[in-house]
Order: sequence, then structure tokens, then C-alpha cells
Amino acid sequence: MTTRTKAQTEPILSARGIVNRFGKQVVHDKLSLEIVRGEIIGIAGGSGSGKSVLLKTLVGLHQPDAGEVLLNGKTIQSIGAAEKAAQIGVLFQQGALFSSLSVAQNIMLPMREHTALPANEQEQIAAMKLALAGLPADSGIKFPSALSGGMVKRAAFARALALDPKILFLDEPTSDLDPIAASGIDALIRQLNDSLGITVVIVTHDLTTLFTICGRIAVLVDRKITVDTADKLMKSDHPWIHEFFHGPRAEGAMKARNISHGN
Amino acid sequence: MTSVPANKQQASADPSRPTVVVSGDGDKLALAGALVIFTLAEARNSLKKWSKQGSSRSLDVARLDSLDTPGALFLCGLRDKGVELTGVRAEHRALLDLVCGLDLKPLPKVESVPRWRQIVIQLGKGAHDARHEALDVITFVGRAASWTVSAMIHPHSLRPASISRHVAETGIHALPIIGLMAVMIAVVIGYQGVAQLRPYGGEDFTINLVAVSVLREMGVLITAIMVAGRSGSAFTAEIGVMQTREEVDALKVMGIEPMQVLVVPRVIALVITLPLLTFVADIMGLIGGAAISQFLLDVSPTQYLTRLPRVVDGSDLFVGLFKAPIFAFFIACIGCMHGLRVSGSAESVGRETTRAVVKSIFLVLVLDAFFSILFEKLGV
Ligand SMILES: Nc1ncnc2c1ncn2[C@@H]1O[C@H](COP(=O)(O)OP(=O)(O)OP(=O)(O)O)[C@@H](O)[C@H]1O
Ligand SMILES: [Mg+2]
Repeated sequence: MTTRTKAQTEPILSARGIVNRFGKQVVHDKLSLEIVRGEIIGIAGGSGSGKSVLLKTLVGLHQPDAGEVLLNGKTIQSIGAAEKAAQIGVLFQQGALFSSLSVAQNIMLPMREHTALPANEQEQIAAMKLALAGLPADSGIKFPSALSGGMVKRAAFARALALDPKILFLDEPTSDLDPIAASGIDALIRQLNDSLGITVVIVTHDLTTLFTICGRIAVLVDRKITVDTADKLMKSDHPWIHEFFHGPRAEGAMKARNISHGN
Repeated sequence: MTSVPANKQQASADPSRPTVVVSGDGDKLALAGALVIFTLAEARNSLKKWSKQGSSRSLDVARLDSLDTPGALFLCGLRDKGVELTGVRAEHRALLDLVCGLDLKPLPKVESVPRWRQIVIQLGKGAHDARHEALDVITFVGRAASWTVSAMIHPHSLRPASISRHVAETGIHALPIIGLMAVMIAVVIGYQGVAQLRPYGGEDFTINLVAVSVLREMGVLITAIMVAGRSGSAFTAEIGVMQTREEVDALKVMGIEPMQVLVVPRVIALVITLPLLTFVADIMGLIGGAAISQFLLDVSPTQYLTRLPRVVDGSDLFVGLFKAPIFAFFIACIGCMHGLRVSGSAESVGRETTRAVVKSIFLVLVLDAFFSILFEKLGV
């Protein structure tokens, strides 16, 4: 199909020449990144290397000191609020659930703002999103302060999916989860990507996530970004990247990858 | 590797304005366009009547360009009602399988109580809570007092850095506003005094009125109320935010008593600053009195100063200053107590801060009334 090949080559989101500075500290130095429609891309890098700041820049929450971010060819700042909400879903590192609303109300909030659906239907959809994210229905009436760390992640995930965005940004989606739940989230991300075609950008330290579900990996080192597949990055001779992909943890994650790709 | 999966659905041309079209008639209908969250209400309305009719119906979805999870949920619902979905595209089948396969339960309902019963329940709860609150305040004040005294006895456990920071924040930074308010209050009382006493030819007594009421009551009261609103609330918010971020729990785990590091320095700091602020308020109030005398009574500042010792004496100043540390103690205790009561959410910080301010101002006024009666009986 010709349209499909066009969609593949044309990036859904591209960042060009991004520079971010905090005082004298330069976090990003003219980095560029293209995210292809329908891919799952992982963003990796050491703590404090600027992954969260990059994610905020990509979704237009942080105005870079230089450079621009284009979503579907339009600069992110020029996109209206409603359209942006329908295009972009974000899972924040700390969940960012509204503490005065129950989990179900958190999920229904964007629907209430941007659609004309009646309340009972919104509730049905919220229940479905909860089930998708692997939460039981009775957690819907709980308030965020009554959730465990892992449940907060799942609830925030459900909220990020509220309007079925075209591109989903996840900041450390598996960091507070037990290994079984983390694999569950990995599987869910892959499922959503397969069945809905959602483009997924994952900021993560979780090597298993990076190796098993990410098509490409963007590594943030020395204020620059290196994007490639895991296989090619493993051959990189940059010391940090080499350490990252060949350390003791990486070996275990590689095994998980081979198992998951084996069946 | 899932680099760029090939079978991806196409995003509709203008994602902000997707449409859905229902065509055909009888038992066979077809959907075309986008069945997504924004068009769901439209699709449901078009299909409302149709989906209630008898069985053996089919819905053709081959010309559906895009489908999202709410759309899939809707189709699953139709399928459960006996509608046959025909021509499902391969890329939609995976989504339908995913959504239909979910074990869906409705969200549990929050029990709703009729309004008239709510009022009764709230009344009962209010009375019950008030009793508990009173007990809590007494317990906390007792504990705070015991920790403060033990800190005084073992001075090495005092935290001078923390105390001095709180003295600066609650005292020095409050000076301008307290001074201004004291002048204002003196002016207000002076004006009223002159207006009321002039018909009897007793307007000179305005000087007595302003001086006595500022020194005995107004100076300390407005200072205490200002400090309760300014510093009591700050104590609650500071400790409350620490509580939400589990910092207080972290202290406990390290074997550090929150009473000792969070409450005692604040209590001591406020007990130091409130009398000093009250003294400043007294002076500023008297200066306000001097201004009023100059402008309304033609009494020059020097005359005012010579008259002052005749209308007020040390006991008036003492009565005001005596109350200050006691008010300070209660304001600090209540601020800290509500801070430690914060649980979980940011909302709770706001609620407890409000309660702390209301309760400490209320308590200050109750104590003040009590002291007025006490000093009256003692003849001070
Ligand atoms: N608002 C800010 N003001 C000043 N510096 C900031 C701000 N936000 C981030 N930084 C700095 O930018 C750098 C990158 O921060 P960022 O939060 O993006 O790290 P990260 O890669 O997400 O780390 P982690 O993996 O620990 O979440 C850090 O050195 C941080 O101190
Ligand atoms: Mg981060």
C-alpha cells in the first residue's frame, strides 16, 4: 500500500536542534530525534541525563532554549488544546493523578472535557481502561492517596489512554512494579501498539523493556542522542553505551529478550 | 523485533474532526468512517432503534477506517446482543479480540445517602468529632509541653539553627505588617472614641481609651490573630507536605522523634517571637494614639507623652504581654498538630491548614475572654 509506506517514512513527531539549559548546566545540546509512526522507541540514559526534560520538551510542556518540535508537521506550540489531548497521552514519572478525584474520575476527566458522551458510557469506558491497565474495577472508586506505587502507575497509564491517543509518552512505566506486573505492562504496550497502532515513546531504565519491546533505542549521553536498534547499539564503542549494554544486568535482560523472541 | 509493524491502521485525515456514516437498511447495515471516542455518541444514536429490533442482524464494518478502544467496546456490546459483525479488517480484529476479551465489571457505585439523612449524620458526626478534637488538642498540647520542657532541661537536644530560622520567619518578617495593623487599630479606636465621647465633652478620655485598650487587649489580640493566620498556617503546610512525602515517617524510622525536631523548635520560636511582636504592636499602637491626639484633639506629642504615664501603668502592659507566650504556645501547637494529621493527598494539606487557622484563632479568643474575667476578678 502506498499510503502505508508514506506513513512509515514520514515521522509522527520530530525534534530538531533541541537545546535545553538550566542556568549554566546544558542538558541537551542541539539534539535531534525523529519518531516514526507506529514504532515503539525507548529513551535510555543515566540518571540526570535529561530524559524527563526531553520528554517534557517533546510533548510541549517545556519550551526549549533553541530548536523546535513538530507533531504531524506542525509545531507543537501551535496545536490546539483539544487536538493535542486527542493526539498525545502522557504517563508522568510520579503518576500525577489528581488527588481530589477518584481513579475513575481521573480517567473520565479528559472524556468529560473533550467528548459529548453521557456519564454512564464514560463510566463503561473508564472501567474498560482500568481493565486494560490491569486494575480491578473496584479500584475505580479509590482515591490516589489510597493506592500503592504500582497501582498509581497503572491508574496513570489508564488515564493516559483515556482518549486513545495516537502517540503515548511513558516516563518510567515499569519502575514501581513487581517483575510480573512489569512484564504485564510490557505486554500491554506491545498489544496496544499492535492493535491500535499507537506510537509509544518509553523513557526507561528497565533493560528488559528496552530489549523486548522497543524497536529502536535512543541513548542520551553527553547531551546528545544516539538512536539505533539494540543490536547495533551493542556494537557501539562509546564507553557508556558499551557499559550499558554489556553490564551484568544487560546480560540477564538479553536472555529475557531471546526467550520472548523465541516463542 | 517490533521495529515498525506493518499492519497499522491509518489515522483519519483530520484527526480533530472524524466522522462516522451509517448506511443500508433493514437487518443489514454498514458503518464507514471512524468509530472513535469522538464519534461514538453519533454512532450510538444512529443505531439506537436498530439495535433494539429482533435478531439475525448484521453490521458491516469493512469500510471502517479507524477504530479505537471505546469504539471496539461498542462493537463488542453489539456483538453480545446478537449482532453479527461482518467484514472485520485484520487490523481491527486484534483490537476487538483484546477489548472483548477483557473481563469487564461495572464500576462499583459509591453509596448515596438521602440529603435529610446526611444532615442528621453530619450533626451526630460533628458532635462526636468535636469531642475527639478537644481530647486530641489536650493530648497534643500536653505532649508538646512535656517535650518542650524536656528540651529546656537538656539544652543539648535544642536545635538552635532551626529555632533561629523560625524566629526570623515568624517574627522579623512579620514586623512591618504587625506594626501597620497596630497603628490602624489605634486610629480606628481613636476615631470612634472621639465621635462617641465628644457630645459629653469627654473627648480627652480618648487618650485613655486608646492606650488602655491597645496595651491590655488589642495589641496582643491582633498580633496573635495575625501570627495564627501567617505562621500557624505555615507550620501546618510545612509539616503537612513533609507528611505527604513520607518525610515524617523517614524521621521516625531513623529514630528521630518528630515532636522533638519539628514541633519543639516551632513552639519555642513562636513563644519567643509573639511577646516581642506584641511589644512592637503596643508601641506602634501608642504612636497611632499620638497621631490621633495630634490631629483630632490638638494634643501635641510631648503633652501626649506626659499624660501617658497617668492613664496607663505597668500592669496594663504586663497584662497584654503576659498573654502573648500563652497564645503563642497554643497557636504553634495547633499548627503542628494539624500538620502531623495530614494524610496522603495535597487536598488534605489544604483542609488541615484551614482547620488549624480557624481553631487557633478561636482558641485565642476563648483564652482571651477567660483572661479578661480572671484579671477582672484578681483586680489587676
Ligand atoms: N526545573 C529544573 N531546574 C533546574 N534544573 C533542572 C530542572 N529540571 C531538571 N533539571 C536538571 O536537568 C537534568 C536532567 O533532569 P531529568 O529530570 O531530565 O533527569 P532524568 O534523565 O529524567 O533522570 P532520572 O532517570 O533520575 O529520572 C538534571 O541534572 C536536573 O538537575
Ligand atoms: Mg526522570
